[in-house]
Amino acid sequence: MVIRKLNEEIMLYSLVFSFDFALMCTLAAIGLGTLCFIVRTKKFFNLTATKIERKYCGFATEEQSQKGKSDHLDVDFWNLIRCFPIFDFLDWREKAKKMSGWDRFKPSRSRLGRNPTNMDQRTVPRTVTLGRVQPQAPSHRTIYCNDRDANLVLRFKGNSISTTKYNFFSFLPKGLYEQFRRVANLYFLMVSILSATPYSPVHPITNVVPLSLVLLVSLIKEAFEDWKRLQNDMTINNTLVDVLQDQRWECIPWKRLQVGDIVRVKQDGFFPADLLLLASTNPDGICYVETANLDGETNLKIRKALERTWDYLTSEKAFEFKGEVQCEQPNNSLYTFTGNLVMENQTLPLSPNQLLLRGCSLKNTQYIVGAVIFTGHETKVMMNSMNVPSKRSTLERKLDKLILALFCTLFSMCLIGAIGSGVFINKKYYFLGLDKGVEDQFNPNNRFLVALLTMLTLLTLYSTIIPISLYVSIEMIKFIQSTQFINRDINMYHAETNTPALARTSNLNEELGQVEYIFSDKTGTLTRNLMEFFKCSIGGEMYGTGITEIERGIAEQNGIKLQEQKLTNAVHEKGFNFVDERLMRGAWRNEVNADACKEFFRCLAICHTVLPEGDVSPEKIKYQAASPDEAALVIAAKNFGFFFYRRTPTAIYVRESHVERMGKVQDVSYEILNVLEFNSTRKRQSVVCRYPDGRLVLYCKGADTVIFERLTVGNDNLRKVTREHLENFGASGLRTLCLAYRDLVPDVYESWNEKFIHAKSSLRDREKKLDEVAELIEKDLILIGATAIEDKLQEGVPNCIETLSRAGIKIWVLTGDKIETAINIAYACNLMNNEMKQFIISSETDAIREVEERGNQVEIARSIKEEVKNKLKKCIDEAQQYFHNVSGPKLALVIDGKCLMYALDPSLRAMLLTLSLNCASVVCCRVSPLQKAQVTSLVKKGARKITLSIGDGANDVSMIQAAHIGVGISGLEGMQAVMASDFAIAQFRFLKDLLLVHGRWSYLRICKVVMYFFYKNLTFTLTQFWFTFYTGFSGQRFYDDWFQSLFNVIFTSFPVIILGLFEKDVSAALSKRYPELYKEGIRNAFFKWRVVATWAFFAVYQSLVFYHFVNTSSYAAESSSGKMFGLWDVSTMTFTCIVVTVNLRLLMMCNSITRWHYIGVGGSIVAWFLFIFLYSGLMTKHDRQENIYWAIYILMSTAYFYVALLLIPVAALLVDFIYQGVQRWFFPYDYQIVQEIHRHEPEDSRTDLLEIENNLTPEEARSYALSQLPRELSKHTGFAFDSPGYESFFASQRGIFAPHKAWDVAKRASMKSKPKVSKKEKH
Amino acid sequence: MEVDGASTSNGGASTSNGRANGGRSRRTAFDLFKQQQLPACKPVLTPVWVITAFMLIGSIFIPLGLVTLHASRSVVEIVYRYDAECVPKAFRGNKVSYIKNGSIPKNCYRSLKVHKHMKAPIYIYYQLDNYYQNHRRYIKSRSDQQLLHGHAHYDTSSCQPEEYNNGLPIVPCGLIAWSLFNDTFTFIRGRAELKVNRKNIAWESDRDHKFGKKVYPINFQNGTLIGGAKLDPDIPLHDQEDLIVWMRTSALPSFRKLYGRIEEDLEADDVVFVTLMNNYNTYSFGGKKKLVLSTTGWLGGKNDFLGAACIFVGSSSIILSIVFMLLHVKYRR
Repeated sequence: MVIRKLNEEIMLYSLVFSFDFALMCTLAAIGLGTLCFIVRTKKFFNLTATKIERKYCGFATEEQSQKGKSDHLDVDFWNLIRCFPIFDFLDWREKAKKMSGWDRFKPSRSRLGRNPTNMDQRTVPRTVTLGRVQPQAPSHRTIYCNDRDANLVLRFKGNSISTTKYNFFSFLPKGLYEQFRRVANLYFLMVSILSATPYSPVHPITNVVPLSLVLLVSLIKEAFEDWKRLQNDMTINNTLVDVLQDQRWECIPWKRLQVGDIVRVKQDGFFPADLLLLASTNPDGICYVETANLDGETNLKIRKALERTWDYLTSEKAFEFKGEVQCEQPNNSLYTFTGNLVMENQTLPLSPNQLLLRGCSLKNTQYIVGAVIFTGHETKVMMNSMNVPSKRSTLERKLDKLILALFCTLFSMCLIGAIGSGVFINKKYYFLGLDKGVEDQFNPNNRFLVALLTMLTLLTLYSTIIPISLYVSIEMIKFIQSTQFINRDINMYHAETNTPALARTSNLNEELGQVEYIFSDKTGTLTRNLMEFFKCSIGGEMYGTGITEIERGIAEQNGIKLQEQKLTNAVHEKGFNFVDERLMRGAWRNEVNADACKEFFRCLAICHTVLPEGDVSPEKIKYQAASPDEAALVIAAKNFGFFFYRRTPTAIYVRESHVERMGKVQDVSYEILNVLEFNSTRKRQSVVCRYPDGRLVLYCKGADTVIFERLTVGNDNLRKVTREHLENFGASGLRTLCLAYRDLVPDVYESWNEKFIHAKSSLRDREKKLDEVAELIEKDLILIGATAIEDKLQEGVPNCIETLSRAGIKIWVLTGDKIETAINIAYACNLMNNEMKQFIISSETDAIREVEERGNQVEIARSIKEEVKNKLKKCIDEAQQYFHNVSGPKLALVIDGKCLMYALDPSLRAMLLTLSLNCASVVCCRVSPLQKAQVTSLVKKGARKITLSIGDGANDVSMIQAAHIGVGISGLEGMQAVMASDFAIAQFRFLKDLLLVHGRWSYLRICKVVMYFFYKNLTFTLTQFWFTFYTGFSGQRFYDDWFQSLFNVIFTSFPVIILGLFEKDVSAALSKRYPELYKEGIRNAFFKWRVVATWAFFAVYQSLVFYHFVNTSSYAAESSSGKMFGLWDVSTMTFTCIVVTVNLRLLMMCNSITRWHYIGVGGSIVAWFLFIFLYSGLMTKHDRQENIYWAIYILMSTAYFYVALLLIPVAALLVDFIYQGVQRWFFPYDYQIVQEIHRHEPEDSRTDLLEIENNLTPEEARSYALSQLPRELSKHTGFAFDSPGYESFFASQRGIFAPHKAWDVAKRASMKSKPKVSKKEKH
Repeated sequence: MEVDGASTSNGGASTSNGRANGGRSRRTAFDLFKQQQLPACKPVLTPVWVITAFMLIGSIFIPLGLVTLHASRSVVEIVYRYDAECVPKAFRGNKVSYIKNGSIPKNCYRSLKVHKHMKAPIYIYYQLDNYYQNHRRYIKSRSDQQLLHGHAHYDTSSCQPEEYNNGLPIVPCGLIAWSLFNDTFTFIRGRAELKVNRKNIAWESDRDHKFGKKVYPINFQNGTLIGGAKLDPDIPLHDQEDLIVWMRTSALPSFRKLYGRIEEDLEADDVVFVTLMNNYNTYSFGGKKKLVLSTTGWLGGKNDFLGAACIFVGSSSIILSIVFMLLHVKYRR
């Protein structure tokens, strides 16, 4: 796939190149080219000269210049000349070579984002490039640090950047050039040129006026956008940074930074240029760098300064720093850097470890001091900056096909005319003067040439069939749609974070109305990544009265508004959202099962691996936990009165409320004897502790399946009840854990402990042995209860997902989380329920695990592939039964990243696609960013469906870019996703508005606009075509030049823009209330060939009516004076009818007619009359309109004019009207049905905001919500105990050996830094 | 990492809570625009509307059609094709040589019977068929500047191929003028000649603004090939109304042009003798020539099309509305 893409790229390059060339010639032909060429050449020459100067003559000249500055300017001219042609050639060859090979493959993979599991590969230096490959210069550069004068002669580039497309001088030529890359514009340019030849029946003005108006509008837009870019650049260039000047740190803007300067960057600051790290406030010269802007990875990277330079930290000290950096020339390889630092006659080698790249930011370090090495456009990030290929909407691509069809029509029309002209021309028509000196076009002796030239003539005559202003109108409409409607929609404004929606591109608006697949990230998008203790079940009793989103969603679906009990005194802190008076404030003592409660809380307080931090008080303490679930449990214990406040390697200290006496607290220390770690196979965690009174207890928490099979016999009732509760929790989308304990007899314990110590100290297979030992003691457990943690969903997510799925949109969740978590969230989001048939393809099977343990990579790959293949086959077979069965259960697919890797293999891809497309929901877990992109493009390319990706983090960037539409979640920190996205919204639920309202409307509008353009131009051109038959195929124009040229740009342009802005079939509230309406967009119901054919039919019909009605009725005298009409009277009459009809037709296709419609339509008709009154009355000495002169007044002096003006538009529109009536009556679109249902309702914008209150008590509401939950035996209990990197985190806490993984260091660092940051925020 | 996310999302929410914009309650017209809630009329094309609209159309167009048709029907028109009959029998086999032969007299005597009372003014038209006055080569072969200002100052390159003759510019130049229609008609009723008024047959706007009062024909029809009528070099173009009428080119290859007016009533059963000079060559391309005598009504000459179309549109609307109504009654939604 990648290779194909590359080939395409190469082809594109060459295509563009040849195209450019052709275009340049064309431009040159009309004189503009000359100017353009001069400017370009000049610029190119200057640029090349400087480049070459540095590249080929760089190092030598630099040395020379040290000797004598005057030498520097005297660049070897011959060298330069010699370099000049070769340079370009080499550059090209280099590009081609690099792009064709496999080494190009890797870089382009990195564009999509990298697999985090491959991160350890990063240590191997390799060239990773994001954008174009720059030719490597053969020499290196020398930088004198802290010495501006010495660097001056080398003329390094400044640090100011410019991302603008144009400058003042290049704007016109370059802008025009860009415009003429559009086929329609180029076509009109050609037609304009053609119309200046004698073959043209029309004055050049006919084609030049629309073209120049279109160009003008486009250029103004370009200029406006470039202006914004310029302002953006200026903001960046004017960011301040501390620079060392005369022993002081001076604040100067980035743009004034020069190579060799010493700068100081503070925490969270961005590096202004590529810097050499000299010193850091951290010990050992270490600093942490976030490279998210470069590669989208959020984990921190470590950079370490050379030991020799650690001291240059203060301004005084740094001032003394004198060094000479010899390093490679600027290049775009992000992970390589070679150079030497020469200091006091010592040469120290430099590596990427000392390089801080522009665009990265400093984390966890107070400040660093560095020397500037590369500046401005020479920084690695700038050299990597690639133009993100602008996405074109599917509709626009379909539009191209329509335009192509129009071209075909045009050519066939011309061909018919041309053949006709060849046949017609004859000397017998003596009045045409064909006897003597006839020009080629009418020479009857060469009929072929006549036909050929007439072809050209007709091409110019019928050029109006191509709607030249279509693209620019659509662009304008979309621009306003996105800037005024989407960006300003109050329904998509998130007040809490003060974030409105943001349409970053305006050319995908209508694509939003056709989305069929949504790929969503989980964390941060669907969930807030906020774990809250929500409910629990203790000793067979369920506690917690909260209602989860999913319960609310289900209730709402059934039309019940749940009222939540809002207790003013309810304790609610981060991680704890539990409401039940029976347990709070010590009330649990009065419960029947108070003992169980006590064990429950103790288990929560003791059995964990959390570290307390900060002040020892319940309010101020902070818990450092590897997973937010754990923290939530400990916080819950704290709130129940079991405050864990201190941990030593051997003990846990808990401040318990006194068991007997209320209000009293006592500090109890529990000796921790053993910790049996959590891991993904065990799915449980145990702690053996000794009470101060000597009681030995093992507390265990884990997945219900694991715990239940280790319970002691007896008490089946509790088990049953608890299981029921677990199912309830699971169905409500909560994450559950079972808690159990076991009292240990000292003897048993001691003997076990020996085995444990033995296992722990074994050198081989330690983990396996530890697991085995753990099994020995984790049995005969007594069940205490279960916890339910809410993985807090973003607001309104289940409802939104439910609505979207009713709209026919399929939502896939792609997450890096574990399979359990992912399924949990799928449940919580309403994506899955127990009625669905689930297919789970997981790599966590015994067979695969077994193979993996053997460790043979080849074998692993082969066997997993085989396994996946079998599984897929089995699933498809099974699914096959349901495919044809409408009433059968919906299907859901869960697949994990490892299996996905093999399933995406070309041989299995088709199977995966068939299976997944038939599933109502698909969950991919443990997937890498690259896989996210692969899955997206699998559906995009394989199924040719319109896809939307939504995510918030850097790991979603690839997916966002791969999909047709990328949506980023904005408002939180981390802008990578937003920067890569096409639309940014603050909350997932806004997707509903974005798709169902804006997308749908946009689609509807653009379809109508396109169809209308198509119709009006075809109608107009066809009248011209019919006329050709009556002029001996001579190509005589029917209309005056100005009529023809202004038809598109004045008389019919404004209303269609109004249509594109204000058309609404049903109100926003109804759009959301009837999401099924959206399916019309998915089916592309409004832009099918059938629709095009319908419009074409009406265009043909109407053009026939116009042409024949006017011509037939103007046969005899039209007034009592007996005088006859001439050609121009007839054509003016026809044109008037067309303008009136075409504008009225627009009103007929509107579903909502605002004042603007009247102004637009009325204005256009009035504009025509005003124009013709002025134009036909115009009589200056030199500018006389002989043809049209007085035509309209002559027309208006006859009664015929008025009768015809009444009759012809009605006759033309009658058939349309019948069609519309019949269509609506007998074959209505969905929206039309909705319109009729709500016909009599006034559209009140607020109706959707008003919620119907119903008077259920909280209890009733809750029980109702619960009663709505699936009744059948639940398969899903919602176990989740998930945290990436959890195992090694815990291991390092306990000082146990764990394989040190590269990313752990950075991760730890990033964890520690956070409290600091948040503190700051609060201050 | 997950802890981080949680802390920040919460923090973000709490810190910016107070920042919510207070001024949003004011909803100006521009706000309505941006929220896409401009007041709008929502026409829903329900069956009732469709039926009503058809009824309305019908009720307007049927009367209009009747009136129009009546106006057209009250016009009396006599069309007489003379191109074939006016060729002497000897030349019927080779009409072209007949018409090109200047030595043969082209007189032709015909009689027309008036079948119905014709009220003055009676307009005389000549009608040509298959004559492409709208051919591109033909239509552009004129110089409007020359027609208005005379030959001296203006470029006549557009007049090709009738631009120069014997090295001298032609006024009026161009194919249109060159091919000026030159059949003439005189009418006799009983004994008396019917006076044909040939003034005011062109639109005033043409006469006053397109043809100069001081522009006289020069060097016109002096070439080897004579296309059509000659012009009196002493009369300015402004007064050559035949030319002005001819130069207002027709839209279709079949057209009528006004020749003159008879300003006397013709009674029913009157016989009008026409003496016509059959000069104009339509034989080479097989065009027809017709003489038309017609009165006019308020809507001009005889043309049933407009009225018929109105009645058709009106009646089909009524029929449709009835059909729809029946459907509506039968299959009420």
